[in-house]
Amino acid sequence: MGQQSRQDTYSAAMPAGPEGSSARWQRACHQCDLLLTRAHAPIGQRLICPRCGATLHRNMERSVAHTAALSLTGLLLFIPTATLPLLEFSLFSFGAENTLMNGVQSLFAEGYYWLASLVLFCSVLAPVGKFLLLAFICWGSAWASMAKPVARALRWYHHLQEWGMLDVYMLGILVALVKMSDLGKMSVEPGLYCFVAMMVVSSAATVSFDAETVWARLARRAAAGNKGASGQPEGMS
Amino acid sequence: MKRPVRALSSGFWTCLGCRQLVRAPQADSCLCPRCGARMHGRVDGSIMLTWALTITGALLLIPANILPVMTVIYLGSGDPSTIIGGAMELYHAGLWGIALIVFVASIAVPVMKLVGLVMLCLMVQRRWDVSPRQAMRIYRVVNAIGRWSLLDLFMISILVALVDMGAIAEVAAGAGSTAFATVVVVTMFAVRAFDPRLVWDVYEEKVSAREAQVDENLHRENG
Repeated sequence: MGQQSRQDTYSAAMPAGPEGSSARWQRACHQCDLLLTRAHAPIGQRLICPRCGATLHRNMERSVAHTAALSLTGLLLFIPTATLPLLEFSLFSFGAENTLMNGVQSLFAEGYYWLASLVLFCSVLAPVGKFLLLAFICWGSAWASMAKPVARALRWYHHLQEWGMLDVYMLGILVALVKMSDLGKMSVEPGLYCFVAMMVVSSAATVSFDAETVWARLARRAAAGNKGASGQPEGMS
Repeated sequence: MKRPVRALSSGFWTCLGCRQLVRAPQADSCLCPRCGARMHGRVDGSIMLTWALTITGALLLIPANILPVMTVIYLGSGDPSTIIGGAMELYHAGLWGIALIVFVASIAVPVMKLVGLVMLCLMVQRRWDVSPRQAMRIYRVVNAIGRWSLLDLFMISILVALVDMGAIAEVAAGAGSTAFATVVVVTMFAVRAFDPRLVWDVYEEKVSAREAQVDENLHRENG
Protein backbone atom coordinates (compact mmCIF):
# COMPACT_ATOMS: atom_id res chain seq x y z
CA MET A 1 0.00 0.00 0.00
CA GLY A 2 2.68 2.45 1.05
CA GLN A 3 4.92 1.20 -1.72
CA GLN A 4 2.14 1.71 -4.24
CA SER A 5 1.41 5.30 -3.30
CA ARG A 6 5.09 6.06 -3.32
CA GLN A 7 5.42 4.86 -6.89
CA ASP A 8 2.44 7.00 -7.87
CA THR A 9 3.91 10.16 -6.49
CA TYR A 10 7.17 9.76 -8.35
CA SER A 11 5.64 10.96 -11.58
CA ALA A 12 3.94 13.91 -9.91
CA ALA A 13 6.71 14.96 -7.57
CA MET A 14 10.01 14.80 -9.32
CA PRO A 15 12.99 16.48 -7.73
CA ALA A 16 13.55 19.90 -9.22
CA GLY A 17 16.54 18.67 -11.08
CA PRO A 18 18.27 19.41 -14.34
CA GLU A 19 15.23 19.27 -16.64
CA GLY A 20 12.63 22.00 -17.01
CA SER A 21 12.75 25.75 -17.32
CA SER A 22 13.40 26.47 -13.65
CA ALA A 23 16.49 24.32 -13.40
CA ARG A 24 18.41 27.16 -11.81
CA TRP A 25 16.63 26.64 -8.49
CA GLN A 26 18.52 24.17 -6.39
CA ARG A 27 16.92 24.46 -2.99
CA ALA A 28 14.64 26.56 -0.85
CA CYS A 29 15.30 27.84 2.65
CA HIS A 30 13.41 25.58 5.05
CA GLN A 31 12.59 28.50 7.33
CA CYS A 32 11.55 31.28 4.96
CA ASP A 33 10.94 29.45 1.66
CA LEU A 34 13.33 31.61 -0.34
CA LEU A 35 14.41 29.91 -3.57
CA LEU A 36 18.15 29.65 -3.97
CA THR A 37 20.32 28.81 -6.94
CA ARG A 38 23.03 27.27 -4.86
CA ALA A 39 22.61 23.88 -3.24
CA HIS A 40 25.97 23.30 -1.61
CA ALA A 41 28.43 25.35 0.32
CA PRO A 42 32.13 25.13 -0.49
CA ILE A 43 33.96 22.69 1.74
CA GLY A 44 34.55 24.02 5.23
CA GLN A 45 31.86 26.68 4.94
CA ARG A 46 28.24 27.13 5.82
CA LEU A 47 25.37 27.95 3.51
CA ILE A 48 23.29 30.67 5.13
CA CYS A 49 19.95 31.93 3.88
CA PRO A 50 20.51 35.52 2.70
CA ARG A 51 17.03 36.58 3.76
CA CYS A 52 16.32 35.03 7.15
CA GLY A 53 19.80 33.94 8.19
CA ALA A 54 19.00 30.28 8.77
CA THR A 55 21.89 27.86 8.41
CA LEU A 56 20.94 25.64 5.49
CA HIS A 57 23.83 23.29 5.82
CA ARG A 58 27.38 23.13 7.01
CA ASN A 59 29.77 21.47 4.64
CA MET A 60 32.47 20.27 6.97
CA GLU A 61 35.68 18.83 5.69
CA ARG A 62 35.63 15.00 5.73
CA SER A 63 32.29 15.12 7.49
CA VAL A 64 31.43 11.45 7.06
CA ALA A 65 34.76 10.14 8.35
CA HIS A 66 34.76 12.48 11.33
CA THR A 67 31.18 11.68 12.24
CA ALA A 68 31.83 7.95 12.00
CA ALA A 69 34.85 8.25 14.27
CA LEU A 70 33.05 10.45 16.77
CA SER A 71 29.97 8.26 16.95
CA LEU A 72 32.03 5.13 17.55
CA THR A 73 33.93 7.00 20.27
CA GLY A 74 30.63 7.99 21.79
CA LEU A 75 29.36 4.43 21.79
CA LEU A 76 32.55 3.23 23.47
CA LEU A 77 32.32 6.01 26.07
CA PHE A 78 28.77 5.00 26.83
CA ILE A 79 29.94 1.70 28.35
CA PRO A 80 31.87 3.22 31.29
CA THR A 81 29.34 6.03 31.63
CA ALA A 82 26.51 3.58 32.12
CA THR A 83 28.35 1.20 34.41
CA LEU A 84 30.48 3.45 36.61
CA PRO A 85 28.90 5.69 39.27
CA LEU A 86 28.63 9.39 38.45
CA LEU A 87 28.28 10.91 41.91
CA GLU A 88 28.55 9.73 45.47
CA PHE A 89 26.68 11.18 48.38
CA SER A 90 27.59 10.37 51.92
CA LEU A 91 25.93 11.39 55.12
CA PHE A 92 27.27 10.21 58.49
CA SER A 93 28.23 6.64 57.72
CA PHE A 94 25.73 6.13 54.95
CA GLY A 95 26.64 6.43 51.33
CA ALA A 96 24.79 6.19 48.06
CA GLU A 97 25.93 6.27 44.50
CA ASN A 98 24.25 7.58 41.42
CA THR A 99 24.62 5.93 38.04
CA LEU A 100 22.96 6.95 34.82
CA MET A 101 20.25 4.33 35.29
CA ASN A 102 19.39 4.16 38.96
CA GLY A 103 17.72 7.54 39.07
CA VAL A 104 15.33 6.22 36.47
CA GLN A 105 14.90 3.01 38.46
CA SER A 106 14.03 4.90 41.65
CA LEU A 107 11.49 7.03 39.83
CA PHE A 108 9.96 3.89 38.34
CA ALA A 109 9.81 2.31 41.78
CA GLU A 110 8.05 5.38 43.16
CA GLY A 111 5.46 5.14 40.43
CA TYR A 112 6.47 8.14 38.29
CA TYR A 113 6.40 6.16 35.06
CA TRP A 114 6.02 9.08 32.68
CA LEU A 115 8.76 11.12 34.29
CA ALA A 116 11.06 8.10 34.49
CA SER A 117 10.56 7.23 30.83
CA LEU A 118 11.16 10.82 29.78
CA VAL A 119 14.40 10.99 31.74
CA LEU A 120 15.45 7.60 30.38
CA PHE A 121 14.66 8.66 26.83
CA CYS A 122 16.41 12.02 26.94
CA SER A 123 19.50 11.00 28.86
CA VAL A 124 20.14 7.46 27.60
CA LEU A 125 18.05 6.24 24.68
CA ALA A 126 18.18 9.35 22.49
CA PRO A 127 21.95 9.99 22.84
CA VAL A 128 22.81 6.34 22.26
CA GLY A 129 20.29 6.12 19.44
CA LYS A 130 21.91 9.17 17.88
CA PHE A 131 25.34 7.57 17.98
CA LEU A 132 24.02 4.30 16.57
CA LEU A 133 22.14 6.03 13.76
CA LEU A 134 25.10 8.24 12.87
CA ALA A 135 27.45 5.27 12.81
CA PHE A 136 25.00 3.34 10.64
CA ILE A 137 24.44 6.28 8.27
CA CYS A 138 28.16 6.88 7.79
CA TRP A 139 28.87 3.23 7.24
CA GLY A 140 25.84 2.43 5.14
CA SER A 141 26.13 5.38 2.79
CA ALA A 142 29.16 3.73 1.22
CA TRP A 143 26.93 1.23 -0.60
CA ALA A 144 24.21 2.02 -3.11
CA SER A 145 22.22 -1.02 -1.98
CA MET A 146 21.88 0.45 1.50
CA ALA A 147 20.16 3.60 0.22
CA LYS A 148 16.75 2.75 1.62
CA PRO A 149 17.70 1.87 5.21
CA VAL A 150 20.09 4.83 5.29
CA ALA A 151 17.30 7.17 4.16
CA ARG A 152 15.13 5.82 6.95
CA ALA A 153 17.95 6.24 9.48
CA LEU A 154 18.43 9.85 8.35
CA ARG A 155 14.76 10.52 8.95
CA TRP A 156 14.89 9.00 12.41
CA TYR A 157 18.00 10.97 13.23
CA HIS A 158 16.24 14.14 12.19
CA HIS A 159 13.45 13.45 14.69
CA LEU A 160 15.66 12.13 17.46
CA GLN A 161 18.24 14.88 17.32
CA GLU A 162 16.66 17.45 19.63
CA TRP A 163 15.78 14.88 22.31
CA GLY A 164 19.34 13.98 23.18
CA MET A 165 19.95 16.16 26.21
CA LEU A 166 23.31 15.19 27.64
CA ASP A 167 24.27 18.84 28.11
CA VAL A 168 21.11 19.58 30.07
CA TYR A 169 21.68 16.48 32.17
CA MET A 170 25.21 17.68 32.88
CA LEU A 171 23.87 20.97 34.20
CA GLY A 172 21.38 18.97 36.28
CA ILE A 173 24.29 17.07 37.82
CA LEU A 174 26.04 20.34 38.67
CA VAL A 175 22.92 21.79 40.28
CA ALA A 176 22.40 18.59 42.28
CA LEU A 177 26.03 18.71 43.35
CA VAL A 178 25.77 22.24 44.69
CA LYS A 179 22.31 21.88 46.13
CA MET A 180 23.10 18.89 48.29
CA SER A 181 26.58 19.94 49.33
CA ASP A 182 25.37 21.54 52.56
CA LEU A 183 23.38 18.46 53.55
CA GLY A 184 26.11 15.89 53.22
CA LYS A 185 29.31 15.19 51.37
CA MET A 186 29.11 15.03 47.62
CA SER A 187 31.96 13.62 45.60
CA VAL A 188 32.60 13.18 41.92
CA GLU A 189 33.18 9.64 40.71
CA PRO A 190 35.05 8.42 37.58
CA GLY A 191 31.82 7.86 35.65
CA LEU A 192 31.24 11.60 35.55
CA TYR A 193 34.44 12.19 33.58
CA CYS A 194 33.31 9.62 31.02
CA PHE A 195 29.93 11.33 30.95
CA VAL A 196 31.51 14.72 30.23
CA ALA A 197 33.62 13.16 27.48
CA MET A 198 30.52 11.55 25.97
CA MET A 199 28.69 14.88 26.08
CA VAL A 200 31.54 16.65 24.27
CA VAL A 201 31.78 13.88 21.67
CA SER A 202 28.04 14.00 21.16
CA SER A 203 28.09 17.74 20.45
CA ALA A 204 31.08 17.33 18.16
CA ALA A 205 29.32 14.56 16.23
CA THR A 206 26.20 16.71 15.83
CA VAL A 207 28.28 19.59 14.50
CA SER A 208 30.39 17.51 12.13
CA PHE A 209 27.42 15.63 10.69
CA ASP A 210 25.77 17.04 7.61
CA ALA A 211 22.79 15.27 6.07
CA GLU A 212 23.36 16.99 2.72
CA THR A 213 26.80 15.44 2.39
CA VAL A 214 25.33 12.00 3.00
CA TRP A 215 22.59 12.55 0.41
CA ALA A 216 25.20 13.64 -2.12
CA ARG A 217 27.25 10.57 -1.30
CA LEU A 218 24.23 8.30 -1.73
CA ALA A 219 23.41 9.93 -5.08
CA ARG A 220 26.99 9.39 -6.27
CA ARG A 221 26.88 5.73 -5.26
CA ALA A 222 23.53 5.25 -6.95
CA ALA A 223 24.83 6.82 -10.15
CA ALA A 224 27.93 4.62 -10.09
CA GLY A 225 25.77 1.53 -9.49
CA ASN A 226 23.48 2.41 -12.38
CA LYS A 227 26.41 2.82 -14.71
CA GLY A 228 27.79 -0.55 -13.69
CA ALA A 229 24.58 -2.57 -14.01
CA SER A 230 22.02 -0.91 -16.23
CA GLY A 231 18.39 -1.90 -15.95
CA GLN A 232 18.30 -1.31 -12.21
CA PRO A 233 14.79 -0.10 -11.34
CA GLU A 234 16.04 3.07 -9.70
CA GLY A 235 13.38 5.73 -9.54
CA MET A 236 15.50 8.82 -9.76
CA SER A 237 18.50 9.73 -11.80
CA MET B 1 15.11 45.67 -6.75
CA LYS B 2 13.55 42.39 -7.71
CA ARG B 3 11.66 40.76 -4.92
CA PRO B 4 12.95 37.38 -3.73
CA VAL B 5 11.13 34.36 -5.10
CA ARG B 6 9.23 32.07 -2.81
CA ALA B 7 9.28 28.36 -3.49
CA LEU B 8 5.57 27.79 -2.88
CA SER B 9 4.39 30.46 -5.29
CA SER B 10 6.80 29.15 -7.95
CA GLY B 11 5.40 25.64 -7.66
CA PHE B 12 8.02 24.05 -5.44
CA TRP B 13 7.87 22.33 -2.10
CA THR B 14 10.68 21.64 0.31
CA CYS B 15 10.79 18.36 2.16
CA LEU B 16 11.25 19.18 5.84
CA GLY B 17 12.86 15.80 6.47
CA CYS B 18 15.74 16.11 4.01
CA ARG B 19 15.27 19.60 2.52
CA GLN B 20 15.00 18.33 -1.01
CA LEU B 21 13.36 20.76 -3.42
CA VAL B 22 10.49 19.06 -5.20
CA ARG B 23 8.14 20.22 -7.93
CA ALA B 24 4.72 20.48 -6.29
CA PRO B 25 2.24 17.79 -7.35
CA GLN B 26 -1.48 18.33 -7.92
CA ALA B 27 -2.37 16.58 -4.67
CA ASP B 28 -2.16 18.39 -1.35
CA SER B 29 0.49 16.04 -0.05
CA CYS B 30 2.99 13.56 -1.42
CA LEU B 31 5.92 11.47 -0.33
CA CYS B 32 9.39 12.90 -0.71
CA PRO B 33 11.11 11.07 -3.58
CA ARG B 34 14.41 11.23 -1.76
CA CYS B 35 13.73 10.38 1.87
CA GLY B 36 10.15 9.10 1.76
CA ALA B 37 8.72 11.48 4.37
CA ARG B 38 5.22 12.84 3.80
CA MET B 39 5.43 16.42 2.65
CA HIS B 40 3.10 19.38 2.17
CA GLY B 41 3.57 22.88 0.82
CA ARG B 42 3.34 24.11 4.38
CA VAL B 43 3.12 22.10 7.59
CA ASP B 44 -0.40 20.69 7.67
CA GLY B 45 -2.61 22.54 10.19
CA SER B 46 0.43 24.24 11.65
CA ILE B 47 -1.25 27.15 13.44
CA MET B 48 -4.09 25.07 14.83
CA LEU B 49 -1.74 22.41 16.16
CA THR B 50 0.58 25.02 17.64
CA TRP B 51 -2.35 26.71 19.38
CA ALA B 52 -3.65 23.40 20.76
CA LEU B 53 -0.28 22.38 22.15
CA THR B 54 0.50 25.86 23.49
CA ILE B 55 -2.82 26.06 25.33
CA THR B 56 -2.29 22.56 26.73
CA GLY B 57 1.14 23.62 27.92
CA ALA B 58 -0.19 26.81 29.50
CA LEU B 59 -2.90 24.93 31.38
CA LEU B 60 -0.46 22.30 32.60
CA LEU B 61 1.87 25.01 33.82
CA ILE B 62 -0.63 25.73 36.61
CA PRO B 63 -0.44 22.33 38.35
CA ALA B 64 3.28 22.21 37.56
CA ASN B 65 3.81 25.33 39.64
CA ILE B 66 1.24 24.72 42.38
CA LEU B 67 1.97 21.08 43.16
CA PRO B 68 5.26 20.19 44.84
CA VAL B 69 7.95 18.79 42.57
CA MET B 70 10.26 17.44 45.22
CA THR B 71 10.43 16.75 48.94
CA VAL B 72 13.69 16.67 50.83
CA ILE B 73 13.16 14.79 54.08
CA TYR B 74 16.00 15.27 56.53
CA LEU B 75 15.89 13.48 59.87
CA GLY B 76 12.21 12.84 59.54
CA SER B 77 11.19 16.38 58.77
CA GLY B 78 10.91 18.38 55.59
CA ASP B 79 8.20 19.92 53.57
CA PRO B 80 7.47 19.55 49.88
CA SER B 81 8.76 22.36 47.72
CA THR B 82 7.39 23.69 44.47
CA ILE B 83 9.55 24.84 41.57
CA ILE B 84 9.63 28.43 42.76
CA GLY B 85 10.17 27.23 46.34
CA GLY B 86 13.22 25.26 45.24
CA ALA B 87 14.76 28.27 43.55
CA MET B 88 13.98 30.53 46.52
CA GLU B 89 15.51 28.01 48.90
CA LEU B 90 18.74 28.08 46.94
CA TYR B 91 18.67 31.87 46.93
CA HIS B 92 18.21 32.05 50.68
CA ALA B 93 21.03 29.58 51.15
CA GLY B 94 23.26 32.12 49.42
CA LEU B 95 23.69 30.09 46.24
CA TRP B 96 22.28 32.79 44.04
CA GLY B 97 24.14 31.62 40.92
CA ILE B 98 22.55 28.20 41.02
CA ALA B 99 19.25 29.77 42.06
CA LEU B 100 19.39 31.93 38.95
CA ILE B 101 20.09 28.92 36.71
CA VAL B 102 17.17 27.01 38.21
CA PHE B 103 14.89 30.03 37.97
CA VAL B 104 15.76 30.69 34.34
CA ALA B 105 15.53 27.04 33.30
CA SER B 106 12.33 26.09 35.03
CA ILE B 107 10.31 29.27 35.31
CA ALA B 108 11.52 31.87 32.82
CA VAL B 109 12.07 29.47 29.92
CA PRO B 110 8.63 27.77 29.91
CA VAL B 111 6.84 31.09 30.31
CA MET B 112 8.93 32.77 27.61
CA LYS B 113 8.35 29.82 25.33
CA LEU B 114 4.58 29.97 25.73
CA VAL B 115 4.52 33.76 25.28
CA GLY B 116 6.73 33.46 22.21
CA LEU B 117 4.52 30.79 20.65
CA VAL B 118 1.36 32.80 21.29
CA MET B 119 2.99 35.86 19.72
CA LEU B 120 4.09 33.87 16.67
CA CYS B 121 0.61 32.41 16.17
CA LEU B 122 -1.02 35.82 16.56
CA MET B 123 1.46 37.39 14.16
CA VAL B 124 0.44 34.94 11.47
CA GLN B 125 -3.29 34.91 12.21
CA ARG B 126 -3.85 38.63 12.92
CA ARG B 127 -1.28 39.71 10.30
CA TRP B 128 0.55 41.94 12.70
CA ASP B 129 2.93 44.46 11.22
CA VAL B 130 6.07 42.94 12.68
CA SER B 131 9.28 42.61 10.77
CA PRO B 132 9.67 38.94 9.84
CA ARG B 133 13.27 39.04 10.99
CA GLN B 134 12.00 39.91 14.45
CA ALA B 135 9.59 37.00 14.30
CA MET B 136 12.36 34.66 13.21
CA ARG B 137 14.44 35.81 16.15
CA ILE B 138 11.59 34.86 18.49
CA TYR B 139 11.17 31.53 16.72
CA ARG B 140 14.85 30.67 17.00
CA VAL B 141 15.09 31.66 20.66
CA VAL B 142 11.97 29.63 21.49
CA ASN B 143 13.39 26.72 19.54
CA ALA B 144 16.77 26.82 21.24
CA ILE B 145 15.81 27.33 24.87
CA GLY B 146 13.07 24.69 25.13
CA ARG B 147 15.15 21.70 26.09
CA TRP B 148 16.86 23.43 29.00
CA SER B 149 13.73 23.36 31.14
CA LEU B 150 14.22 19.63 31.67
CA LEU B 151 17.11 20.60 33.95
CA ASP B 152 14.99 20.48 37.09
CA LEU B 153 13.62 17.05 36.26
CA PHE B 154 17.06 15.60 35.63
CA MET B 155 18.18 17.05 38.94
CA ILE B 156 15.22 15.40 40.69
CA SER B 157 15.99 12.03 39.11
CA ILE B 158 19.60 12.30 40.26
CA LEU B 159 18.69 13.32 43.79
CA VAL B 160 16.05 10.64 44.19
CA ALA B 161 18.67 7.97 43.58
CA LEU B 162 21.45 9.74 45.43
CA VAL B 163 19.75 10.78 48.65
CA ASP B 164 18.05 7.62 49.70
CA MET B 165 18.97 6.74 53.29
CA GLY B 166 15.67 5.76 54.79
CA ALA B 167 14.91 7.66 57.96
CA ILE B 168 17.90 9.99 57.88
CA ALA B 169 17.57 11.68 54.55
CA GLU B 170 15.43 11.05 51.54
CA VAL B 171 14.37 12.86 48.43
CA ALA B 172 11.01 12.04 46.92
CA ALA B 173 9.56 13.31 43.68
CA GLY B 174 6.21 15.10 43.71
CA ALA B 175 3.17 15.18 41.48
CA GLY B 176 4.14 18.58 40.07
CA SER B 177 7.11 17.03 38.31
CA THR B 178 4.86 14.92 36.10
CA ALA B 179 2.91 17.99 35.06
CA PHE B 180 6.11 19.91 34.45
CA ALA B 181 7.58 17.12 32.32
CA THR B 182 4.43 17.20 30.21
CA VAL B 183 4.69 20.98 29.82
CA VAL B 184 8.21 20.64 28.44
CA VAL B 185 7.31 17.83 26.02
CA VAL B 186 4.12 19.51 24.81
CA THR B 187 5.82 22.86 24.19
CA MET B 188 8.67 21.17 22.35
CA PHE B 189 6.11 19.60 20.04
CA ALA B 190 4.38 22.98 19.71
CA VAL B 191 7.58 24.59 18.42
CA ARG B 192 7.97 21.67 16.05
CA ALA B 193 4.44 22.17 14.76
CA PHE B 194 4.91 25.85 14.00
CA ASP B 195 5.95 26.54 10.42
CA PRO B 196 8.09 29.72 10.30
CA ARG B 197 7.48 30.04 6.57
CA LEU B 198 3.95 31.23 7.34
CA VAL B 199 5.46 34.39 8.82
CA TRP B 200 7.13 35.10 5.48
CA ASP B 201 3.95 34.27 3.57
CA VAL B 202 2.11 36.97 5.50
CA TYR B 203 4.95 39.40 4.91
CA GLU B 204 5.05 38.69 1.18
CA GLU B 205 1.32 39.14 0.92
CA LYS B 206 1.51 42.49 2.67
CA VAL B 207 4.40 43.73 0.60
CA SER B 208 2.75 42.81 -2.67
CA ALA B 209 -0.55 44.36 -1.59
CA ARG B 210 1.25 47.58 -0.68
CA GLU B 211 3.11 47.63 -3.94
CA ALA B 212 -0.04 47.12 -5.94
CA GLN B 213 -1.66 49.93 -4.03
CA VAL B 214 1.14 52.46 -4.36
CA ASP B 215 1.84 52.08 -8.03
CA GLU B 216 0.49 49.71 -10.60
CA ASN B 217 2.93 50.33 -13.41
CA LEU B 218 6.12 51.21 -11.59
CA HIS B 219 6.96 47.91 -10.01
CA ARG B 220 6.40 45.08 -12.46
CA GLU B 221 7.97 41.70 -11.80
CA ASN B 222 10.70 41.43 -14.40
CA GLY B 223 11.36 37.74 -14.62
